[in-house]
Amino acid sequence: MSVSGPLFIVGTLGALSILLLILRRFTLIVAWVAAAAAAALAVCVSLVPLDQPFDLGPITVTLGEPLSVLGRVAVIEPVDQLPLVLISSIACALFLIAWRVLPRSNFYSSGLAILALQASALMVTQVVYAALFVEIAALLTLLPLHEPIVDREGNSFGGGARGGLQYMVYVTLALPGLMITQLLLEQFAAFPSDQSLLQSATVLLGLSFALLLGAVPFQSWLSAVSTDGSPPAVTYLFTVNLGTVWFLLLAYLETYGWLSRQVAFGQLFTVVGLIMMVAGGVLAASQDRLGRIVGYATLADNGAMFVALGSRQITGLSLSLVMLLARPLSLGLMTLGLDGLRRLGRGDDRAGRLAGAAWQAPWRTLAYVVGGISLAGFPLSLGFASRWGLYRLVSETSVFRAVLALVSSAGVMMGLVSNMRLLLSAPSDMDTGEVLDTPRVPMRRWREDPVVLAIIVALIVGTYVLGLFPQLLSGIAFRMAEGFTFFTQ
Amino acid sequence: MSPFLHWLEQFSEFVSVPAAWGIFVAGAVIYLISEWRVRFLALVIQYLFVGLLFAGIFDTRPEMALMKIIVGWLIAAALLLSARIRLDTVRTEGRLLTWATNLPFRVLVLLTATAIGYLGSQRFSLPYVSADLGLACLLLVVLAVLFVGTEDEDPTIVGVGVLNLLTALEVFYTAQDPGLMVSGLLVVVSLLVGLATSYLTVAEEVPA
Repeated sequence: MSVSGPLFIVGTLGALSILLLILRRFTLIVAWVAAAAAAALAVCVSLVPLDQPFDLGPITVTLGEPLSVLGRVAVIEPVDQLPLVLISSIACALFLIAWRVLPRSNFYSSGLAILALQASALMVTQVVYAALFVEIAALLTLLPLHEPIVDREGNSFGGGARGGLQYMVYVTLALPGLMITQLLLEQFAAFPSDQSLLQSATVLLGLSFALLLGAVPFQSWLSAVSTDGSPPAVTYLFTVNLGTVWFLLLAYLETYGWLSRQVAFGQLFTVVGLIMMVAGGVLAASQDRLGRIVGYATLADNGAMFVALGSRQITGLSLSLVMLLARPLSLGLMTLGLDGLRRLGRGDDRAGRLAGAAWQAPWRTLAYVVGGISLAGFPLSLGFASRWGLYRLVSETSVFRAVLALVSSAGVMMGLVSNMRLLLSAPSDMDTGEVLDTPRVPMRRWREDPVVLAIIVALIVGTYVLGLFPQLLSGIAFRMAEGFTFFTQ
Repeated sequence: MSPFLHWLEQFSEFVSVPAAWGIFVAGAVIYLISEWRVRFLALVIQYLFVGLLFAGIFDTRPEMALMKIIVGWLIAAALLLSARIRLDTVRTEGRLLTWATNLPFRVLVLLTATAIGYLGSQRFSLPYVSADLGLACLLLVVLAVLFVGTEDEDPTIVGVGVLNLLTALEVFYTAQDPGLMVSGLLVVVSLLVGLATSYLTVAEEVPA
């Protein structure tokens, strides 16, 4: 029996997702099966030629064969390969990280279902279906996002549901714009002289992506999600979900070349990106909750990607892809630290209430700081290479804009430093009340899981090695950028 | 066309404007009364009117309109269940007619929003859809803005707002492209919004 690539990917991941939901109490099996499935997808898509069939028992799979359902087509094109490999690799890594952090969670089954939907969004050829798949994936993300934290003693610490609620609202608000854009583009194909259709489509598309990527003034969901969401699920959302949205944006720019050829394109992307960077930096600097800093650092990072795209150069596109590749490592590290510190504070992540936590959970604190430094783009970290490239690129046209971008990184660093001052405060200071103006949370005795410790060390080493040798990542990013030709046409 | 479908087409044309206002009045009840048993009934009635609107859009496939009603009722039941679980942890007076807080303000906002929605539908006609469907879309969007904008502390009401927005989108989009794929996926989205809202309503109650 011959099976097309899209059906094979979506069918396998969907079936496994249901199986893992049934087996969810066996965390070891579920986490490793989910990771293996995601890894298999990454390997399969990256190594098997699209036009070459391969046998899997009774079925023959051809990855490049299109799937047609009621006249709607999904197909893996060469430009989709690296994005598919990227999101499945990130998912694989996050399933392994979550293995020791999220016992008996539905993160693994939901994660595979979300991966199937995001892959569908990348493979489907019509805007309207991609938008619907992204929406369904976002709604499924809410399930693991607000699972209460359960510690080894069985105590659970719940957060609010505000983040998930805001995410649901903003993603749904983006849906009409994307769907109506499809109608307008169909109308434009029938009446090519009516330029107002294109203008309306541009505005709607821009607004929808601004909502999906948390551009200012729609940024509140980023911080809300990171404040009360489960840290591994937050990382999944900020890397797999947002990564897919970025690739969809690039795919639209590629498909509808007139979008990037509009005069205002570069200026609009640069200004929106700079506003996001400055807002992210300023807001991160003034936060006293560790989770919020994660959200605002991601906002600044998204802004940096917009600025890089606004340059209308292939270098800018490559830089934005380097940032996208670096984000999972930085965010994974940061949220692994956040998870431990939140457990230590019984669900509370206010730095004032966690004063002195660094002495009890030094590795988690280190993970949070190193991840934060990397996301801020501080020298020698993983994020620095792409940020340095961005400053140079922006300064070619305006030094003032480059300084603004630099200020954003400084803002995120200030937020990190001011909170670290509290986490690192000595026990004697806490006893005399010199540090705290709020009562300190009575902390539990903390013993680090050796597996989590090994993951933290591996991620820290990985972050610095890739920071010192950024060509390892930039090579992949340049290969990805070659697939998009909208800046070179 | 079968006599039943012909009758249904005429009936749905006749009731589409009253159905649009019926949707709005049911939404107003949800906005003004805080007791969840009443809100549940209002939501059930709202989805009945939504079904009537869709009977006009899917004039040759009335089963699609029926499916919208059934899905809406399923969502209403899920929201009622989660509201019950939430009420178990919060003491309430238990009266059937409990007005929402800041009632005068809500009435004022509702009247203003109604005027904006109605005058908007008179002045600007939505492209691709008839005037009565345009009115229904605008009123649903007005309700969604009210629910999402002024009730952000209550997950259930925010969820109802999101569902109203999705219904407006469904009416607008399927009037243009009444294909099975889009309709089916939009039904899945609505169901998931209902389930996610129920889940978030309950998840918020987990003691910190």
